Amino acid sequence: MTTEPYVVLRATGLRRHFAQPGGRKLMAVDGVDLMLAAGETLALVGESGSGKSTVARCVVRLIEPSGGDVAINGRSILPLGAMDLAALYREVQMVFQDPNASLNPRMSVRQVLHEPLRLQMAMPEPKREQRALALMAMVGLTPGHLDRYPHELSGGQRQRVGIARAIAAEPNLLILDEPTASLDVSVRGQILALLKQLQRDLKLAYLFISHDLQVVRHVADRVAVMYLGGIVETGPTEAVFTRPMHPYTRALLSAAPLARWGMKRERLRLIGEIPSPIDPPDACRLAGRCPLQQPACTAGRPALQPVAPGHASACPVTSA
Amino acid sequence: MSDYLLEVTGLSGAFRSPTGELTPVLHDVSFDLRAGVTTAIVGETGSGKSLTALSILGIQPATFVRSAGRIIFDGQDLLALDARALRAVRGRRIAMVFQDARSALNPVFTVGRQLADVHRLYHGGSRAAAMDAAIDALRRVAIPEPARRARQYPHEFSGGMAQRAMIALAALICRPELLILDEPTTGLDVTTQAEIMELLAELARAERLTTCLITHDLGVVAESCDQVVVMNAGRVVETATTEAIFTSPREAYTQRLLAASQLVEGAA
Amino acid sequence: MTRAPLSWSMRIGLAILGFYVAVALLSLVWTPHDPLSPGVGDGFLPPSVEFPLGTDRLGSDVLSRLMAGTQYNLGIAVLAVAIALTVGSILGVIAGYYGGATDIAISRGVEVFQAFPGLLFAMLIVKAVGPGVVNVILVLSFVGIPDYVRLARAEVQSRRNWPYAEAARMVGNRSWQVAFRHILPNSTGPLLAFTSINAAFVALVTASLGFLGLGLSPNTPEWGNMIARGQDGVMTGEWWISFFPGLAILGMTGAFYLLGDALSDLTDPRRRR
Repeated sequence: MTTEPYVVLRATGLRRHFAQPGGRKLMAVDGVDLMLAAGETLALVGESGSGKSTVARCVVRLIEPSGGDVAINGRSILPLGAMDLAALYREVQMVFQDPNASLNPRMSVRQVLHEPLRLQMAMPEPKREQRALALMAMVGLTPGHLDRYPHELSGGQRQRVGIARAIAAEPNLLILDEPTASLDVSVRGQILALLKQLQRDLKLAYLFISHDLQVVRHVADRVAVMYLGGIVETGPTEAVFTRPMHPYTRALLSAAPLARWGMKRERLRLIGEIPSPIDPPDACRLAGRCPLQQPACTAGRPALQPVAPGHASACPVTSA
Repeated sequence: MSDYLLEVTGLSGAFRSPTGELTPVLHDVSFDLRAGVTTAIVGETGSGKSLTALSILGIQPATFVRSAGRIIFDGQDLLALDARALRAVRGRRIAMVFQDARSALNPVFTVGRQLADVHRLYHGGSRAAAMDAAIDALRRVAIPEPARRARQYPHEFSGGMAQRAMIALAALICRPELLILDEPTTGLDVTTQAEIMELLAELARAERLTTCLITHDLGVVAESCDQVVVMNAGRVVETATTEAIFTSPREAYTQRLLAASQLVEGAA
Repeated sequence: MTRAPLSWSMRIGLAILGFYVAVALLSLVWTPHDPLSPGVGDGFLPPSVEFPLGTDRLGSDVLSRLMAGTQYNLGIAVLAVAIALTVGSILGVIAGYYGGATDIAISRGVEVFQAFPGLLFAMLIVKAVGPGVVNVILVLSFVGIPDYVRLARAEVQSRRNWPYAEAARMVGNRSWQVAFRHILPNSTGPLLAFTSINAAFVALVTASLGFLGLGLSPNTPEWGNMIARGQDGVMTGEWWISFFPGLAILGMTGAFYLLGDALSDLTDPRRRR
């Protein structure tokens, strides 16, 4: 038996619903469990409407969870008041999808980087500038970029600034919300390489939110596949990609385009479109769309069942 | 000669800023679209791929100033046509599908009405016959319950369904010879994207369409295109068959783009 | 850093306002005659070399009074707008960012005041609190506040969940810092653009109050007062007494409107090159 890994992030039974007219509930996140060890990358994969971005915001309380618990570095964060929450953001930071929207257009890069150093680290001015220069070097930018405004930077440079801001206060957990989704492919590779480098150097744990399966396979140690507010499959990246168990995972993987010649995919097709997450029935989330559906699928919501060490799937049909 | 439906030769131009400065954006762009074939124009942001496509239809932004080039469609130079002659080509013989289908549809009319109106404009006939044609077109792009969906408004359609409706409009109602698709699946989920691309391939075969797919995604290209034109910074970098682009790319830029798309370690 | 060129309408607006400011400053130290004393010349003198814009009923120099009036009409407009902008923006940001009961309280309060037409409201209040420069400024700013509240509230509401607001929270900003330091500076465009419309409105209402004898004491060389003093002359041929103050009001309101978007562009770094 090896020693237990240090758990950076643990979410248990995380729920978030939004009240709808007529007393109905939109279940954006409906019972999600996550565990992330130090220095590890867990990818949260799903299509639009899966709730993956809501999970990302709930674990840092940018959105307040409706239920369940979130612990960061062993401490439950839900009871924290405003002061303690601000202090918590020294441990966990976020990199946003669109670096254009996540940088204040009226702040120069210097102002962006000085802000966390001033507010979170209480650094005096000369030290801040020193640290800002070091951060710029860490993310592959030059000192000259400090005086630029976001609109004077390329998309890739903006995302580097977003990453520098996130690591400024030396967190050990980064929430990466589709960090490469709005970048060109050539820039995407550079940003992913930078993230890998920083993870090694700074021993960061990554919760990597993405819809891009190719990127996920490239960066993640483990994968959790989300569909309609719940995790339907989770496991080591290679296991999930080579031996997907849940029909949704199979459909997703078989639909992903590959930039290679002569790859003919055996498609698993789902029926129709993603249903509304408002007042979902007590059944498998994929029921009605699944080509492998059995009567058991509508008798309650299937739980994640282990199918191999560290690999679990919430499908009573394929796991049986 | 008639092997090519469309030939773009030496297209060059620049954007004019409000102060009159010119920023060159297209440099001697030349490529051909062979009849009955699906050609991809691939490039990243700023490659000029969309601008080239818009120029074919004569709907480039007003700030774009063309300095040279010809676009020969079926023997006539589109750039030399007057507005009236161009309208006879645009829509009827060359149709386009845009990235964001829901904003390309008019929000105040039902989807069926919009398809029917275009049908009557191009093919005449009664309102009832046009609506039947619209519903039939929606059925052929695999929209479930087409008669009911035809009575709905664009906001009631998901992104994928709206794009299907746009494809029905462009490919089946307009019945063009050339269909230009500008990032038709960008922003859609992968499962939806795969279905849309399959649908397009099917329609192109059935309708004997010449299609031109503008995209940044080499993944989409690999499965659905015959020919590839790679563009970068306003220039055509390489033109080849899809197989050649993926198995033996000649130009350094194509090789880099391919490596980046495949996320090969050390590429970047 | 250079800026994109301003449009012609903005340049003209700025030029006219610059002229008014210059006149107001000049009138503090010099006017051709004493604007407040009657009888510097005979009454009802038409424009001449000595009195370029003529004299009024009491024999005061119209040009001198017009110049001195710029202090009042421009000063009242600028101060009333500044107060309305400041108070309205703060209330609007609070309502928009915090939402909930705070928002409901502020928004309902604003709606109550907006139920009265601006000019009528101003007349009633001035009548109640009495004339005087400070009262006129406060009343006119009060009339403008609801619009700023609504504009600021809508802008902040649409931006409070923007990624840069979320990012600001995550680098240790408290909620008031996010609202006032990050969201408000990015929401100033519509607010500043509205100041020109608001200033034009304030300029008109100031003159209206003066004309009705509600605003400042009758001898104050305020343009509305001056028009009122000359209104009889319009019928009998002494047109200059009312005409030139009227022209001054027209010029000032026109300049404010022309200014339009110039103000909103001045603070935006994306407009710089």
